[in-house]
Amino acid sequence: MSDREFYLSQVADVIRGLFDEYDGPITMETTARDVPQWDSLSHVRLMVLIEQELGVRFSTTEVQGFKNLGSLIDAVVKHKN
Amino acid sequence: MSSLFPWRRPLEEDWGARVSEIEAAVVDGHMPDYATARAVANQQLGPREQLRVERLAKRMGKLEAIGFTRVELGLLGSRTLSYLRDPLGAAGLARGLVVSVHEAPYDRVASFAFSASNCFERRLDAVLAVLDEVSFQGSRPLLNRAAEDEAVHEAERLVSAIATAARSKTGCPAIIATLPPPYQLASAETATPGSSARFRLRVNMMLADGAAEGRWLIWDQAALAARVGLERWFDPIAYHSAKVPFSVQLCPLAADGVASLLAAMSGKSARALVLDLDNTLWGGVIGDDGIAGIRIGQNSAEGEAFVAFQDFLLGLRARGVVLAVCSKNTDAVAREPFRRHPEMVLKEDHIAVFQANWDDKATNLRAIAEALGLGLESLAFVDDNPAERERVRRELPLVSTIEVGEDPSFYIERVAQSGLFEHLPLNSDDLARASSYGGRAAVAEIRARVGNYEDYLKSLEMQMTIAPFDEVGRPRIVQLINKSNQFNLTTRRYNDEDVRRMQEDQGLFGWQVRLDDRFAQHGMIGVVIVRKEGTEWEIDTWLQSCRVLERGVEQSIMNSLFQEAYAAGVESIRGRYIPTERNGMVSEFYPRLGFDVVGKNGDGSMDFACAVPRYAPHPVFMNISLLR
Repeated sequence: MSDREFYLSQVADVIRGLFDEYDGPITMETTARDVPQWDSLSHVRLMVLIEQELGVRFSTTEVQGFKNLGSLIDAVVKHKN
Repeated sequence: MSSLFPWRRPLEEDWGARVSEIEAAVVDGHMPDYATARAVANQQLGPREQLRVERLAKRMGKLEAIGFTRVELGLLGSRTLSYLRDPLGAAGLARGLVVSVHEAPYDRVASFAFSASNCFERRLDAVLAVLDEVSFQGSRPLLNRAAEDEAVHEAERLVSAIATAARSKTGCPAIIATLPPPYQLASAETATPGSSARFRLRVNMMLADGAAEGRWLIWDQAALAARVGLERWFDPIAYHSAKVPFSVQLCPLAADGVASLLAAMSGKSARALVLDLDNTLWGGVIGDDGIAGIRIGQNSAEGEAFVAFQDFLLGLRARGVVLAVCSKNTDAVAREPFRRHPEMVLKEDHIAVFQANWDDKATNLRAIAEALGLGLESLAFVDDNPAERERVRRELPLVSTIEVGEDPSFYIERVAQSGLFEHLPLNSDDLARASSYGGRAAVAEIRARVGNYEDYLKSLEMQMTIAPFDEVGRPRIVQLINKSNQFNLTTRRYNDEDVRRMQEDQGLFGWQVRLDDRFAQHGMIGVVIVRKEGTEWEIDTWLQSCRVLERGVEQSIMNSLFQEAYAAGVESIRGRYIPTERNGMVSEFYPRLGFDVVGKNGDGSMDFACAVPRYAPHPVFMNISLLR
């Protein structure tokens, strides 16, 4: 498993924990629009949980600018290295 | 990462399984058992457990709040307080509350305070206003003292208007958050009129003064920010990206602070602190080390820590918290340090109930609660020994056992952090309440002195008043009917409307029972509902407060009931015992009062009856007034 896939699996865990009604697929292409419970309010909560779980801190620009989970994982990889 | 809640118990191993059980019940629409649900919320939850408890709380909010106290809380913020909503539910559960949050739309502070509009449109139990510096108008040029004075006055006008609006529009007090300090440029900022640092200090002082005058309540956000550190409390990214006034990660902690305040408003703060002795109040074991060997005072770092803790306990006592001792020791040995050790801060006089014996702690805690006339839920317990803590938690989940750890230097921190002794601004009413506890403690002492129980009961000079249900008594009647679990024969719940109808129903009657003694007014301590079925009466409901057990209360009421039955020409009285998990203490109620078993039902309940002519009145030691 590559680093990116590993981080995605961790992020997927967090997403399923927070958005308990969602049971669809979670991939690099997943965006907030795919998950009905994922609104702007819960987005902040999600970012905090991912930060806690993965031990990273996103920047002000990043928290608002993720295009999809792939770009979030890119940021995780960047902070981890 | 260390827990946000170090004073709570570490997460139980089977926590997940216990929560699943509760979740299943709640999904089916059943309110879970109070003590069990509170206990799973009141642990050192990690982020994921936190989410689960928040979700559970949300579901429980839709059910009738049996056992829990429901609190309707309005949120009013100059930034978004949405992230407090779910954590408030979870924090409430841990403190015995079901909190329903009503959040005002974004930035309605001024319109709520100054216009006729009401963003809540309902009655609330409290409105929490979290304002930040931007909520306060007025420019403050540096070094202009007059402009700063005016800005502080302006802030006071706003807060005052919020408090007035809360009262008139939603019928409740306002809780105003103090302002955390800003990042500070220089130490001299607070000496610079017009600076943000100085303005916030002055606003906080103004808020404190207003709270002391009873104009509003405060939630001391500034103290909490100081406790965790401003760099953790204030999250500039969340502030700019989501208008969150403090770290989303710390919202569970903020919510707990607010919940402890709501608990204090609901009368759920701990009223007594029960203390172990060896390694809790002094270092070492008095029974082994002797008075010269225990560590207390200036002979060691540990000894200093114990003195500091005892000083802190005296401060609690000054605020009306009753101190009690519960120790596995020989009584005379355990009392020796209090009597003879020169460095002991606590003296025997400070301890209302002293239980030093070899019984288990759960038994002793029960005895202490009874001696003080308090419910178990009003007790907090401090013991350095994790095994004892675990045992008490298991046997008496309603007692708040504080996770003090094993290092005496941290005892103060943990007890203070627990928020169990949260109190509202102290006033003369509180002093009166403190003396009522004093009265109950005096009862315990008399009881110890008076060997003969009859003499003890006589010495209390009890006065019982039995009255029919009425308008004035109804709120408390309904509360007792829905809260009493232990001394409750049938655990039948009736709401306000049910009880109102009973007042008019000719086919039954209800009694409200009050008790006073020479030490305290206990208020309403019993409710009885009797259905009249021709020449037979059926006791539908019989419940009593556990604050006044073993005093002949039930005997007195029963004597009166048979007296009334005799006068009405009734032939017999029937009663039923419906067992629940909580009411085992009354399983022998009817046999003890002279009733015979007449039926055993499939559901485990039992029927009893007693023929009126065969009833032998019980000796009682109180005056009884029966109002008709």
